[in-house]
Order: sequence, then C-alpha cells, then structure tokens
Amino acid sequence: MSIERAILKKIKYTFYNLGRILSIQSKLKVFFIFCSVIVLITGMALMFYSGFRYFDTMSGFGSIIINKLFTFFFLGMGVMLVFSSIITSYSTIFRSDEIPFLLVRPAGYNQITLYKFFESTALSSWAFVFIILPYVGAYAAYNEMSVLFVIWTLLFSIPFLIICSAIGSISIIIFVRFIPKSKKTLLSLLIFTGLMLVVVFFINTDFNVDKEMEVFDISTVLPGLNLASNPILPSFWTSEGIMALTNGQILRGLMFWLLLMLTATGFLVLINDLGRLLFYNTWLSTMEGRQNNKRAPVLFKWLDKIYLPHDIKAMIKKDIRIFFRDPVQWSQVLIFFGLIGLYFVNIRNFNYHNIDAMWRNMIAFLNVFCLSMVLSSLGSRFIYPELSLEGQGFWVIGLSPTSMKRIVLTKFFSSVVAMIIISVTLVLISSSMLNVEKEIQIITIILILSVSIAICGLSTGLGAIFIDLKQSNPAAIVSGFGGTLNLILSLCFMIVSIVPTGLILHLEIVAKISHQTAENLLITTGLWLIIILLCSSILPLILGIKVLNKTQGI
Amino acid sequence: MIKINKLSKTYGSNDAKNPHSFEAVKNLTLDIGKGELFCFLGPNGAGKTTTIKILTGLLRASSGSILINGIDPETDHLSSKKIIGYIPDMPYLYERLTTTEFFEFTGELYDINKESIHEKLEESFALFGLIEYKNVLVKDLSHGLRQRLIYAATFLHDPEILFIDEPLIGLDPYTIRLIKDLLKEKARNGMTIFLTTHILALAEDIAHRIGIILRGELIETGTLSELYERHGKNNLEDIFLSLTGNY
Repeated sequence: MSIERAILKKIKYTFYNLGRILSIQSKLKVFFIFCSVIVLITGMALMFYSGFRYFDTMSGFGSIIINKLFTFFFLGMGVMLVFSSIITSYSTIFRSDEIPFLLVRPAGYNQITLYKFFESTALSSWAFVFIILPYVGAYAAYNEMSVLFVIWTLLFSIPFLIICSAIGSISIIIFVRFIPKSKKTLLSLLIFTGLMLVVVFFINTDFNVDKEMEVFDISTVLPGLNLASNPILPSFWTSEGIMALTNGQILRGLMFWLLLMLTATGFLVLINDLGRLLFYNTWLSTMEGRQNNKRAPVLFKWLDKIYLPHDIKAMIKKDIRIFFRDPVQWSQVLIFFGLIGLYFVNIRNFNYHNIDAMWRNMIAFLNVFCLSMVLSSLGSRFIYPELSLEGQGFWVIGLSPTSMKRIVLTKFFSSVVAMIIISVTLVLISSSMLNVEKEIQIITIILILSVSIAICGLSTGLGAIFIDLKQSNPAAIVSGFGGTLNLILSLCFMIVSIVPTGLILHLEIVAKISHQTAENLLITTGLWLIIILLCSSILPLILGIKVLNKTQGI
Repeated sequence: MIKINKLSKTYGSNDAKNPHSFEAVKNLTLDIGKGELFCFLGPNGAGKTTTIKILTGLLRASSGSILINGIDPETDHLSSKKIIGYIPDMPYLYERLTTTEFFEFTGELYDINKESIHEKLEESFALFGLIEYKNVLVKDLSHGLRQRLIYAATFLHDPEILFIDEPLIGLDPYTIRLIKDLLKEKARNGMTIFLTTHILALAEDIAHRIGIILRGELIETGTLSELYERHGKNNLEDIFLSLTGNY
C-alpha cells in the first residue's frame, strides 16, 4: 500500500501547493476567473431553465420531452465523457513524462495504470461539472425539487464518471496495444473506414425529400430519447436512481446506486488487470515509436508551387510537419471533427430533414453552435499554446530575418485557412442534410466563418500576449490565466454572434415579428457581427505583436 | 552485479531492408562487478542512453539478456527496481511539490518509514546544499538545484546499483566536485555505478573501468592504465579520438 499512500500524499501536496500558488497570484486575476466561472454557471443555469420553460409552452409534447430529458442528459454526458476519456487517456497513460519516473521505482504496472486512469478521469471530467451543475440546478428549480436531488446527483455521478472514463481508457489501452504496426495496414484501415462513411452518407441521403412526410412522432424528432431509456445503459441507472431517491423510493434508488458501484468496481478490476498484463509492453511500444528518430520526410512539393515569401513558407511547413508528426494533435482533431462529421452525415437517419421548418432551423443553429464549441476548444488547445510551444527553439525564428508581426500573422492566417476549410465543409453538410432554406444556409456559413476568424484571432493574439516559453506542457499553458481567458472570450463570442441571429430567424418563423422587422434586425446584427469580429480578431493580434516586440529574451 | 549478455536493440523493425530501422546497440556483452564504477563513453548517438534505458527497464532489448544482481528484470521487475537507482540526463520532477515533499514522496515509493526519511532528509539536504530550499517549490529551482535534489532523492533508498546518464550536465564546479567525491565514496562502500558521459576528464578522474561504444558496438573496454598501455598513449582524449575519429 506504500505506493498508493505515497501517490495520494503527493496529490494532497500538489493541491495544497496549487492553493499557495493561487494565493500569491494577482487577486484581481483570481477574482476575474472566479467571477467568470460564476457568470458562466449562472448563465448556463438560466439558459437551461428558459429551455425547460420553453418546452412547457408546447403543451403535451413539451412535457414528454422534459420528463425524458433528464435521462437523455446523462446519455449525452456519458457519450461525451467516453470520447473525452479516450483523448485524455492516451496522453495521460502513455505520453506522460511521469511514467519513466514511476517505472524505475518499485511500483507495479497495475498500480501505475490505475493511478494514471484516475488522473485521466479527473482531467477528462472536471469540465463537465460546469455542465452538470447548472443543468441539475435548473432541472431541480424548474421541477421544484428538494436540495437532496442535487446531493443524490453527486452521489450517482461518481460511479457514472468512473464507468464512462473506464470505457474510454480501456478502449485506448486495447487500441494502442493492438494497433497495426505497419503504416500500410493502418492507412488501409483508415481508407476503408472513410469509404464506409461515404457509403453510409449516400445510403442515408434522401435526395428527393418528401415534404408530405411530416409525421409527428416524438421518437423521430429526438430518437435519442428512446435510446436513453434502454435499461442496460449506466446513464439510465443514474437518472432512474436519482429520481427514485428524490421521490422517496429508497430501495429502488439504492438498487441502481449499487448497480452503478458494482459496474464501476468491475471496470476498475479490469483496468487493474489490463495494467498488469498490457501496460508495460504497450508503453514500451509507444516509446519505441518516439525513439525511432528516422522519419519519412514530409516535403510539401505542392506548397513550393504556391507563391509565398520564403520565411512564411518555412514557418508554415514547420508547423504542418510538427502537427502531422504528433499523433496527439492530429488524432484529437480527427476525433472531434470526425464525430461531428459523422453526426452531420447521419442527420437524415434521425429524420431531422422531415420535421417542421422551425425545428430544422433550430437544429441548423444548434449545429453551428456545437461546431463552434469544438472550434473554440480546439483553438484553445492548439492555436493558443502554439507560440509558447516554440519554447527554447523560439530563438531560431526570433533571430531569423523576419519580424514578430509576420510570425504572429503567419500563425493567424494558417490557422484561419485550416479552420475555415473544415468548418465551412461541415456546415455545408449540416445544412444540406437538414434541407434548410438557402437564406439559412448563407447565414450559417457567415456565422461559422466569423466564429473561425474570431477564434483564430483571439487564440493567436492572446497566445502572444500570455506567451510562456518555459512551459513545454500544452495542458499547463492552456490551463493558465491566458488560456482560460481565451476560452471564455471564445465562448462569449459564440454566444453574442450566433444567438441573436438564431433568435431573430426563430421569431420570424413563429410569426412573432414580421419579415420586414426580421430583415432590419438582421442588418443590424450583421453590423454588430462586423464590430465584434474586428474587436476579437484584429485587436488581440495588434496587442500580441506589441507584447512580443517588447518581450525580452526572445 | 550487472551482467549484460549479447544485448542488441533495433529501432523500427528488425528487417534490414527497412530504411527507417537502425541498430542502436549491437551484441553488447559486459560484466560489471560489485563496487565498480564503470564509465560508458561514446560520441553522440552511439547507443549510451539506449543501453542505460534498457538496463533500467525503460526500453526493451531486441535480443540478449540482462541480470541485475542475479535478478532478471524481465521476470521480476519489482525486485530489481528496489535495488537500483536511476538519474536520467533530463530528470522528471514534480513541479508543484516542494523539495521536502518530493523527497518524502520518493521515500514512500520505496516504503521507507517516516523517521528514516526525515533523518536522511536533514543529512542529504545539508550535503547537497538544499537546506535553505526546503520549502521551495520544485518549479522555482534552477537546473543545478534540481539536479542536486534528484541526487539526494536517488540516494535515499541506498541503491545497490546506480545508473547515471550524463551526471554533470548543468552543474557548477562546487556540485561537480561534490558529485565526483560522492560517487567515489559510494563505490568504495560497495555501490555499483554505471554512468554514461561525454566528459572524458570525469572518466579519467573517477572510473575504475571504461567502455567505449561506437555506432552501438563496444569497441574498447578496460581500466585507464590498460587503455594507456594498449594504445601507447597516456591521454584518454587521444585514445578516444583515435578510436572514434572517423565518426
């Protein structure tokens, strides 16, 4: 037990010291972060509450949705947690610098795996607290439930988190262990998967949409609602157990809680055994991949044909090479956009294209919102730390005959191009699958273009303002003040750009405002969008360039 | 104490036709006795770090075998880890722990009782000049101080065998002298030390036996006087350059 005791003590000390570090930091900074968190949680709680009230105005249909929504919420959270865990598990279990330190000490492979699993669970799930808290709070307030409801939710959330995270971690341990070693096999596998997705796309695409097919059926509107009620799902046990305890059905609630605890324990035993049997060899194989210093060259002959100044071309080539040689980077981008793409491609499978125009428009805007959230998290994860990650090598660029302005602008424009290609393609898929009107298509494209530019501007500019060349861990750079500010501002931009437009179009469709009023309001919103876009892209870039020019030691 | 038999390591696949594979260590056989201070020399990329990583279990050998004090680390990794210490060239330290907490954490990993840890803490911290940094976070230490801390923590469980990769990187003259004297004393007291270095003067100064590795092959081994005699030179630098000159 000495290893477990030592690690627990280390975690305790780390948290204590984190408090010490925070206490000596600028009080204003800490206060700002605290206030931002409170505003974010309160804002989300109010948004959820308004959503419940809105559903309530829809007579019977709305109340069915509200009743099922709690179960659906845990299913959605569970799916997101599994994917989040897959991403964090790989870097935490296999790429952490701490592993070699622990491996040369008398710690069992199973102990190391379990410890890293819990770390990965914490890393992949802490952000969900910011969704669970406001949602549960709003749900409890709307249904006038007792405080016990929140306590039961917390009690059930712990085993639920462990189960979801374990599914992600176990998948990644097995995948990394048995991933085809040959690049050709891996490539064939990826091409096969891609082809399958294309086939699924064409099978599910009904190019001759029958407008008469608007049949009201709750399962066609939100098919996930039925799936969420499947009794074999841990998300169902969680929601059912919480509701049972809240309604005073102690034994039923306890049964679901024990079921969750038993499943979680089972998964922990499985991770322990996988750690003992697979961890060491799998870790060694990932290390050997890193040690093998002979890499196939990435030459970009196509890039040489494009006219670009030599310094800009050199920087772009370097960034692309680094990106493709770091599986953590490209795999995260692939997973995030791949999942969204998969959902967009399958929209017709859910029959969303046959529902009322009001709902289709709402889904189109929700899709833009969802894609923007992914863009903002990727902006914070990849674009924001880009300048800091130049690290000790920054002098190479710093001493070359180029200016800080060109460096910052190159980072900005290259990220804008990459983001726009992906985001606009995805929005085009979404709107064509939903069969929305041309007007909505154009508006959603304008919105996603603005969000992409703003996120790249904010991330590059703030990344320059809060540059930290001493830090080599991107997670540490991102979790700093600048990274948090960047994420908050990106989310704010999304809200103030997408929500007003979506609201105007919604009010027009439900005939609350006239077409003329909607048009006038849209023009005003367009002007507003231009102003906020300039503020969030050009301003941070100018400030960032100024800071870099003044910074010593670069 | 350390028995290495026909150890080889190939990165990439073992297929000779694969342009991306290369042999980092070739057929290495070595026997290092108790209390011996063995210096492994070689140019950059010769295979020194790969060897030390295989010996500490951080890499897997493609072929060959190792015995650490009679223990096969492949079959009984926990027993071998209890008796070894390893100081890498770029050690990992927990940035958000204080030096005392890091020391305590390392001791607890080896199941050393609290009293012994605190006794050794006073002793080691005084030796390595870390007393005034007792409550300082690791992230606030300079490179030299971090190295001193990792030395202090590595000696805490009194390893029987010590592996050090480039022991003097970034250290000031005071700490260099301290480390050299300490390694000599530890070897005198029976600790087996396997270290890799570029600094030939260090090898001349402290090594009982020297091994020179080039492109993964052990091309020379012996005591300093044996090397002088064999090559007719009285300077390790000349011997090293004549052996690796065309590298």
